[in-house]
Amino acid sequence: MKSVEFDKTNAVCGALFVAIGLFFGFESLDLELGTAFRMGPGYFPFLLACALVLLGGIILFQAFRVEHEGIGPIAWRGLFFILPSAIFFGLTIRGLGFVPSLFLTAFIASFASSRMTPILAILLSAGLTVFSVLVFEYGLGLPFRTFGPWLGF
Amino acid sequence: MKLFKALACATAFAAVAFSSVAQAAGYPERSITMIVPFSAGGPTDTVARLVAESMSKDLGQQIIIENVGGAGGTLGAGRVAKADADGYTLLLHHIGMATSATLYRKLPYDTLKDFEYVGLVTDVPMTIVTRKDMAASDLKGLIEFAKANKDKVTVANAGIGAASHLCGMMFMSAIQTPLVTVPYKGTGPAMTDLLGGQVDIMCDQTTNTTKQIQGGTIKAYAVTSPKRLDVLKDVPTAVEAGLAGFEVGIWHGVYTPKGTPAAVNERLSKALKVALKDPNVAARFAELGTVPSSEADATPAALKAKLESEIARWQPVIKAAGQYAD
Amino acid sequence: MDLFNNLALGFSTATSLANLFFCLIGVLLGTLIGVLPGIGATATIAMLLPITFQLEPVSSLIMLAGIYYGAQYGGSTTAILINMPGESSSAVTAIDGYQMARKGRAGAALAIAALGSFFAGTVSTFLVAIFAPPLTKIALQFGAAEYFSLMVVGLVSSIALASGSIIKALAMVVLGLLLGLVGTDIYSGTPRFTLGIREYSDGLNFVAVAVGVFGIAEILRNLEGEKNRTVLMSKVSGLLPTKADFKEMFAPVLRGTAIGSALGILPGGGAILAAFASYTVEKRVSKKPEEFGHGAIAGVAGPESANNAGAQTSFIPLLTLGIPANPVMALMVGAMIIQGIVPGPNVATEQPALFWGIIASMWIGNLMLVVLNLPLIGLWVKLLTIPYYVLFPIIMAFCSIGVYSVNSNVFDLYAVAFFGFIGYVLVKLRCEPAPLLLGFVLGPLLEENLRRAMILSRGDPTTFLTRPISATLLVIALGVLVIVLLPSVRKKREEVFQDEE
Repeated sequence: MKSVEFDKTNAVCGALFVAIGLFFGFESLDLELGTAFRMGPGYFPFLLACALVLLGGIILFQAFRVEHEGIGPIAWRGLFFILPSAIFFGLTIRGLGFVPSLFLTAFIASFASSRMTPILAILLSAGLTVFSVLVFEYGLGLPFRTFGPWLGF
Repeated sequence: MKLFKALACATAFAAVAFSSVAQAAGYPERSITMIVPFSAGGPTDTVARLVAESMSKDLGQQIIIENVGGAGGTLGAGRVAKADADGYTLLLHHIGMATSATLYRKLPYDTLKDFEYVGLVTDVPMTIVTRKDMAASDLKGLIEFAKANKDKVTVANAGIGAASHLCGMMFMSAIQTPLVTVPYKGTGPAMTDLLGGQVDIMCDQTTNTTKQIQGGTIKAYAVTSPKRLDVLKDVPTAVEAGLAGFEVGIWHGVYTPKGTPAAVNERLSKALKVALKDPNVAARFAELGTVPSSEADATPAALKAKLESEIARWQPVIKAAGQYAD
Repeated sequence: MDLFNNLALGFSTATSLANLFFCLIGVLLGTLIGVLPGIGATATIAMLLPITFQLEPVSSLIMLAGIYYGAQYGGSTTAILINMPGESSSAVTAIDGYQMARKGRAGAALAIAALGSFFAGTVSTFLVAIFAPPLTKIALQFGAAEYFSLMVVGLVSSIALASGSIIKALAMVVLGLLLGLVGTDIYSGTPRFTLGIREYSDGLNFVAVAVGVFGIAEILRNLEGEKNRTVLMSKVSGLLPTKADFKEMFAPVLRGTAIGSALGILPGGGAILAAFASYTVEKRVSKKPEEFGHGAIAGVAGPESANNAGAQTSFIPLLTLGIPANPVMALMVGAMIIQGIVPGPNVATEQPALFWGIIASMWIGNLMLVVLNLPLIGLWVKLLTIPYYVLFPIIMAFCSIGVYSVNSNVFDLYAVAFFGFIGYVLVKLRCEPAPLLLGFVLGPLLEENLRRAMILSRGDPTTFLTRPISATLLVIALGVLVIVLLPSVRKKREEVFQDEE
């Protein structure tokens, strides 16, 4: 895994910061910069973006001096199930309603692990949903719709 | 689970079936959601909760408050504009309903076309206040001082679209002098700096200023209501103090989505009238330095007229100040 | 003495059977909801607030104060157990607390957090009682220039949060600052970096960012080696702190209490810095700074005490000025108004029973928390034995509910996913999340106060040096910079030389 000439992790890291800095920098240029007395909305972020580009540059530069271990394994399966589960909840909470949306959110997240079995996932999601309905809807009276309009309610 | 779902199905079916036929007759049959387009605990939320509790009693169904904060109240209003027009989603919004029509050049809804009206709730007066060591003895003196030092006198506000921002703009337009505007994120920090004498002038709701004025930590020059207030008897109205026509209030109204049956709006208006007569509501309002709207104002027609006239009134002021929120 | 009469009045109010009961309910509910992952103090209070409206004013506020402490305590528990901070202060606790938990010392970490908080709570309650009025006067001297300089101190201190590369930590702070600026610019109304999405015009939700970069990144990291790793947590060794632990936590708790009490008084957001500042100080004075970031006891004890002390003293501006110091206090104001009490400078004289009752109940609430939570530690630690693959669907579900319930904004959920991804990428690139979060909370404050100070001084930058408090703070910032940088520079140089050998 050892890189030959430079530390790939830091190189990627530095490049990422430079890229993010450039993004914010260009975005701030669209805003009014203003003067030191009446700073415009773009003044402060522009300074920060420059600083980020600079820091990213230093990290990138240093990557050529120091060696380090590589990035290691990546949790593809986790990325594929965990992140969408939150998005799924956002997309469906108002349409499907609290119960189906939460059940499916937990169900999707369950499959991020290769150890989870479908039966266990269903049981877990169902238990979670019942608990949450009892606590948040009945106990605390949060204004969630139990079942939403997409299901014909 | 099955039983639960079946039960939920049954009730919901019943609701759907009834809602399309004779809505007003049995209305309301389930709990109603009142959307407050600001976060919990704020002054608008307070007004909503007080009124909603009392309205629930008259309607026989619970009104649940849902706080949908963000973007100066336009997110919450947008949500209601898109909601089902069945009378089960209400909006309680303040003057921002009218001003955001100008403050925001791109709104996701049409302020005048996407809503029906229930009625006005209350009109919270504003107070023109300054740091406590301000020398001027009356409003005239304050205006003279401001005009003479227009590059130095600072006016605090709680952010674009806030009551204090609107009133500050109106004040500067009334005295025809632009002063140095200092925005804050929320009333708390703005008031802190006024107490500490870091800024000079602020114009804010009695809700936020009454206790400070009574405590002598800030100085009041005028109230913006047509009559003096019981809680601040010594403070003249702005008109009395020489600012002709300077009447500003943070009025609150209840709206429903476009297409909500008139009978439903009338039913809600009736509940609103009952709530506004509730001595408990009146007492709490009084402590905030405000009074419930009259029976004539708590009607759909009055709110519609108010909204239209206020949009027309604020448009030139905001355009002149050249400040937009998007 | 007035003070004793007042305190006596306060305690007699707070110890009425009903009020004790509501205090207990508040503390209990606050802990139970706050401990759910992804649900921090603000969300907990927003959820529980309506429950208190039905009660008598004093009882309602006592219960609310109880909810507040309970929620904070619960938040620290999740931060320690599963690296899920629900607010900025517990993000600091998470750094070393979670590492302690991974080493099997979760029980000790929780006990240290509880005891440290209780001590800080006790001391600062008395501070509130004795010094509230005079301290307020000092707090009012803080204008925009002073806050800006204070935030600079905070920023400089952030370097100490890094246990790895300092440059990377700095880059993370700057990135955090930029992310904190997302939203509508309050001075011009211009939306910045919102990508045209109106839902982000009030800025990114803190919980979404924190849960993303800490919690979700951690879940993903734990998932990556699933096949060849079986045990995530080493065996739990001893629930309670040992004698050596007590010795080690004593001084940090004292210092944390002092720092937190002082910063909490400032109505402009000083309490935010309390935990961060304490961490910096502890790392600096420690004889074993290399332990920080790997489960240092002082790294839990100091910030937790500072945080709790700050939470207590942030009641000072609320009670004496009627001004909320943070979003949680703003919720308290709402609750007071609903109860017919409009907070203002006269609350103490007009409603002495209420004023002193709340102060007394703060202490009682803290006592209850300790008594309740010490036995509960065993239970919390047992939660760690739940297999991880069962735990994280639960975490995701509660996160989603917690994030959504604050503002009913679904875009906050998309932000969770986005920052989960970013957080994971950054972790993979060996960047630490804590500096990013500090930058995130400081960003808006720093810019706001800088611009405000410039407006108030008519564009004269010397305002930062001519105002004495501001100048003093800047000198402190410079001092911190020198102290923090020198040894690490030296160490770095050594490392580089070693590498070359």
